Formats: sequence, C-alpha cells, structure tokens
Amino acid sequence: MNKLLIKIFRLLKPLFRKADPDFEKIMIILETKLTMDNRRVNMSWRNSNQKQNSNQLTRVLIIYTIFGLMIGFIVLFATDFKTIMVLFHSYVLFMMAMILVTDFSSVLLDTTDNQIILSKPVSSKTLFLARTFHIMVYLFQFTVAIGIGSWMFSFYRFGFITGVALIGTTFLTVLLAVFITYFLYLALMRFASEQKIREIISWFQIFMTILFSFSYQVLPRLVNFVDIRESISLQWYAYLLPPVWMAVSLEAIQNLQFDGTHLSMIALAVAVPIAGFWVLNKYLAPGFSSRLAALQQSTDTRKELTSNVTQKKNLAEKMSSWVNSNAIERAAFQLTWYITGRDRNFKMQFYPALGYLLVFFFIFLFKNQQSAAENLARLKDTSSYLGLIYLPVFLTSTAYSLLPYNEHFQASWIYHSTPLKKPGSVIIGAIKSVVVKYFIPAYLILFFISLWFWGGRILFDFVFGIFNNLFCFVIIIFFSEHFLPFSRQPATKQQAGRFARSLLQLLMIGILVGFHYLLLKHHWILMAMIPILFTGAWLILRSIGNLAWKKIAV
Amino acid sequence: MAVIQTQNVAKQYNGQYVLKGISLTIEPGQIIGYIGPNGAGKSTTIKILSGILDEFEGEASVLGMDVRKQALDIKQYIGYIPENAALYEVLTPMEYLRFAGRLYGMGENDILHKSTELLRLFKLSENAEQRMNGFSKGMKQKVLLISGLMHNPQIIFLDEPLSGLDANAVILVKEILLQLKQSGKTIFYSSHIMDVVEKLSDRIIIINQGEIIADGSFEDLRKLGDTGSLEKIFTSLTGSTGHGSTAGEFIDILSH
Repeated sequence: MNKLLIKIFRLLKPLFRKADPDFEKIMIILETKLTMDNRRVNMSWRNSNQKQNSNQLTRVLIIYTIFGLMIGFIVLFATDFKTIMVLFHSYVLFMMAMILVTDFSSVLLDTTDNQIILSKPVSSKTLFLARTFHIMVYLFQFTVAIGIGSWMFSFYRFGFITGVALIGTTFLTVLLAVFITYFLYLALMRFASEQKIREIISWFQIFMTILFSFSYQVLPRLVNFVDIRESISLQWYAYLLPPVWMAVSLEAIQNLQFDGTHLSMIALAVAVPIAGFWVLNKYLAPGFSSRLAALQQSTDTRKELTSNVTQKKNLAEKMSSWVNSNAIERAAFQLTWYITGRDRNFKMQFYPALGYLLVFFFIFLFKNQQSAAENLARLKDTSSYLGLIYLPVFLTSTAYSLLPYNEHFQASWIYHSTPLKKPGSVIIGAIKSVVVKYFIPAYLILFFISLWFWGGRILFDFVFGIFNNLFCFVIIIFFSEHFLPFSRQPATKQQAGRFARSLLQLLMIGILVGFHYLLLKHHWILMAMIPILFTGAWLILRSIGNLAWKKIAV
Repeated sequence: MAVIQTQNVAKQYNGQYVLKGISLTIEPGQIIGYIGPNGAGKSTTIKILSGILDEFEGEASVLGMDVRKQALDIKQYIGYIPENAALYEVLTPMEYLRFAGRLYGMGENDILHKSTELLRLFKLSENAEQRMNGFSKGMKQKVLLISGLMHNPQIIFLDEPLSGLDANAVILVKEILLQLKQSGKTIFYSSHIMDVVEKLSDRIIIINQGEIIADGSFEDLRKLGDTGSLEKIFTSLTGSTGHGSTAGEFIDILSH
C-alpha cells in the first residue's frame, strides 16, 4: 500500500517546480519515515521486536470501515440526494479533522528529529510538506475505509459518474480538513510567541476538539434542508459550509445542472482546498521549523523555581501517601502524576479527550431540533445524567492507554536495574494515579452539576456509578496487555488508532449506560451489586498488583 | 576571510537570556574548542551557527552567508554532529547514511562508496545491515560522525563527538580531526573532555552563563591566571572550585 501511495505522490512532482520545497527531499523523508513506521511497532527498553507489523493499522482500518458503513446506509436508504451528501461530507470532514487532532498532532509537531533533519539542507517548507505527506499516507487509507461503503452504495444507487465524483469530493473534503486543522495550528505557531506556544498548545487542542465537534453537531442543524433541496437561491451561509459545496456540486453532476449556483459551488469545492494549501505553503510553512525547534528548546524556568522552593508535601505526595499501600506504588503514583502533568506529548494526546468530555456534556443541549431552552426543560424529566456518570471512565481509560508511551522510554531501565520483585505494584500505582488525578475530579464536577440540575434523585445512581465505573476500568486493564508506565517508544501506527479506540470506548460507555438504565427502577438490584463490584474490583487490583515479570510486556 | 562571524548574538527563552551577546571571528583551517559548564549556551550557539535556530538577536554569518537568510545554503557546506546520538535507531547504518547522504544531495554511488568505506574504517562493516537499536552508544556515535562528515563539509560543528567512544575510536577521531584541519577544514568543537580540547584546539573559547569569559590559545589562557592544565584554568574561570570539599561532603552523606 505504501509503495502505491508513494507512486501516487510522485505524480505530484510537476507541481513542485521551485527548489523550495524540494520535492525529492520530501520523498526521501517520506520513504524513510514509512520504513521506520513499519519497524517501530514493538519497541521497549529491553526488547525490540523487529517483525514488520501491520496488524495494528489493519484493525484500525476495519473499525473505520464499520463506522463508514453506518453513514453508508444513509447513502443507501435516505431519500433526498443533497441531504444525504451534506451528511456524508459533514461526517468525513469531522472524522478527518478529529483524527488529525487526536492521532497526528504529535506527528506534525514532532521535535525528536529536529537535530537529524533540520541540520541537513532541508527547508522549513520541505519538512512541513514531508510531514504532511506522511500523515496523508494514513489519512488516505482511513478515507478509503470510511468512504468505501458509501462509494459502493453510491455507484449502485446513483450511477457510475456520480460514484466517481463522490470519491473526488470525498478526497477534496479530506484536503479541506487537513487545510483547516493545519491552518489553525500554523497560524498559532506563526503568531504566538515561542513561550506562548508551549503554554497554550494543549489548550488549543481542546479548543479544536470542541470546535470541530460542535461544527459537526451544530452546522447540519443550521442547514435548512428544504432550502438546500431547492438550491436555486441558497441562503448566504450555505456558501460557508463545505459539505454543502460538495453536495451541490454532486447534484450538478447527477442532474447535469450547471446554473450559476451550481457552478459557484463546484468552484468553491475545488478551489478552496487547493488554494488553502497554497496559502499554507506560501505564508505559514516558512516559520514552521524554527518554531518547532523552539518548542523543543525552551525551558520552563517557572516550574524549576517552584520545585526548588517547595519544601512541604505537594498534592501528589499527599494523595500518594493516602491511597497507596507500599513504597513502590507510591513511587509509581508520583511518577505518573508528575509526568502526565509535564510531558508535552502526553498532554497533546490526552487533552483532546478532555475536549470530548466537554463536547458530550453540551451535546445534550442540542439533542434535537428544539431550542436549547426547550431541551433543558425536557432534560430535567429524563435520566440523561446516566451518560454523564460514565464519561469520566472514558477520560481515565484514555489517560491510562497513553501511559506506556514516552519519548524517553529508555529511562525505563530503572525498573530493571532496581530490585523490583512485583512490577504489578508499579501498574497499581499508575492506575491509582490516573483515577485520583482524572477520574475523581471529573466525577465530582459532573456530580455537582447533575445534583444542581436534576436534584437529589441522582444521588444513588452516582454512588452506584463509582463502583460500576471503577470495576469496568480495572477489568479493561486486566484483560489488556500489561506495560509499565513510560516504557514504550511512541509510534505513528499506534497513534493512528487513538481516535478509533476513543470511538470504541464511547460504544462501551453506551453499553454501560444501557445496563444502568435497565436497572434504574430496581434500586435494590443496584444496591446488591455494589459489594459485588467492589469485591470484584479489589480482587482484580490485587491480581494486577501480584503480576510477576513474565506477565509484563517488555 | 573569516568563515564564521558573529556580532552580539543573543538568544532568550521564556524571558531568560541563554546567550548574552556573543561576538566571534573564526578563521579557516582551525580547530576551535568551545567549552563551558552545562547550560552555558554551547549547544544554542552551535544550533544558531548551523542554521537550526533562526530566531535570535544580533548578526551571524557562516562562509560569508547570512545565517537567517541563507540557512539552507550554509547547511550544504557544514557538518553537524549533535550532542546525543540523535539518529533513527530502527534503521540500519547503511539505510541511515543513505537517508542523510540523499538529504545532502549526494549521488547514490557516492553514498554507497563512502558509507561502505567509512563504516569499514570504524570497524562497523559487520553491523552495516543491522538495525541500530541494539548498538552501543559508541557504535551509534560512529554512525553519527560518518553522517555528518560524508558530504565533505567545509566547517564541522561537533557537540561532544567523543561521548561513548572506546579508547581506540577516540584516538582515531582525534587523528581524523587533525587531518581534516590540515586539509583546510574548520572545526568548531564543543566538549567537556578538557585534555582533548587542550591537545587538539588551536583556539579555546570558554563560555559561561551565555557570555564568553576567555578566548585564545591554550598558552594565552594560561597567562590569565592558573598555570596548570586546561581543567584547572576552566574551573578557576567558571568559578567551579571546591570540588574536593564537595566530594568529601558527598561521601559523608552516603555513609550517614
């Protein structure tokens, strides 16, 4: 697949007539990066599994194909052509933007190879485009996976030409998603000062997650589908909505309708993604590499100062002495607490999940075509707070799944050079750390909000929710492969599945909510389950704590 | 003509200056020893001069080219060997050197010939097709050295080049550096290993807290105060004295 994509990229060579960006160097970097991706799957401090492994990516592609089929059925069964196409392109735009923010931000903003590549005659534009192409290799495969169902149904239902055009508009939408995401990143890197970038980049990701999720949820509701169906004179804001451009362009091809409105939409659909890349390349990419170097270079003197003056126990130390039973757990608890709070890569991958939490909270307000006020009034009589009860476990399991990966994975020699009999204790410390740091605050915040909104009737469900959440969390860990925290090398292919995994976790939360909902009226069953869940979680944690070296993946 | 020229080069991070107005004029065909304690600004200077960092105050030119405006042209004529063994360890030495050589615009045959021969000289022929994640630090350092020199640069920036090398390799690298100098190359050499700097360098620049505090030949520096080794001169100039009592205190804490 990679070789085929490289051949496709090589077709773009005539577009790169100038020396900068240097097309040949882009391809050299791309080929090398892809070779490395194929090898870097199972790296740890002690062991390097050198098999060429593509299972991870295949699994992610299967997940995206299944998600793609869901929207594909709309293409197959829904009645109005343009409505179908607006929904499909909105879905593609949202999925790709989210994949870029969640899975590939760290690839774009990678600082580890600054010394290797930027010391060679490689310009900022060349490095930027090489990284973009690298990311596009994966996006291309995800697009095929997400789109294949809809494309096939479209060939079947609307004919060959529309089917081919749909493939074209799908890829234009992907380009647009890349453009919008990169535009936001590069604009930030261009206009914020070096130290500001370091401080705000993680928050900026939360902002982007919320922005894209809201756009996906809210914009289709803004579109007046009756108006879209008429399309003779569209409202002005339809010209600001890329999915409408794509849908109306496809209608022009389907019905051979080429009036002013249709032609202007076709022009927007084709010109904006291409012009967008030109703007990126011309105005924003030149400062990219020096800003990247700055990201790596700057030292956070503020933090150094606080660590010097802090004599008394800080929060992590206090918490660690309260919740852990031995010194190893305490050490792992604090290590996890500190690194998750300071490591830029961790934050870059975790903060989008924090964004989802906010997004899902507010989605309740826009659940259907009613106004926010009507929704709020209606919500009071529902049991929607069940959804909120299970969001913190999503946040916590995302944080836990990121723990093994760290740029400085080789520092994990410390686990092997110290007399550590039960490495399971390290895992227990790490689990407790993410629970105390992420689960409890998120749960408390959602509890108080729910208490204020729904009143005392939520109390019992939130109590049961704690045990159900924690039981599910430890059971997920128990059945996963066990890694020690910060002991594995991050790899593009593993990152590439993060958004897919988030979607699966949300499905799991849906099941939990369903289960809880079914038992909502039977408080005595829930009550009886609390000791069972508590004992189950305790036994599982004990079993994890006793894990020996041979059970740990190194 | 000077090959490196800087005028009041300064660089700040988070409002703190790590370089505070460095002015240098470096003639061709010299080995410059650039030494200083950790955090003194050595690596930042090298990154500015090799075009990796382009946001700084003051003026800097290399081979008559402006570092800010012509970084790409400069990089073609310089070799940069960074402090840590920064290379893609999942590649083999041959793959990595091919990657580096191609980025320097070298021909495939030239890359193959030089990689094979230079790896042989460093006794790495048998490892040429093995992935580098199992390599020792010294083996990686050798590959890094080759990757920074294979395009035959005019100026070579070395940041701790001897770190991790075995005794024989250290002697070989020292000899290589001397012969490179004799062939007219300029070597900008940053290191903590004082006796090597003392023996190799035509000129020694000591930097402390972002400022140059001494600049001259070893003989010139001896006139500044301490008449002993470079190590003694360095510690007296950078104020890092009292190591004996610190060591005593260290042992004392360990045993109580």
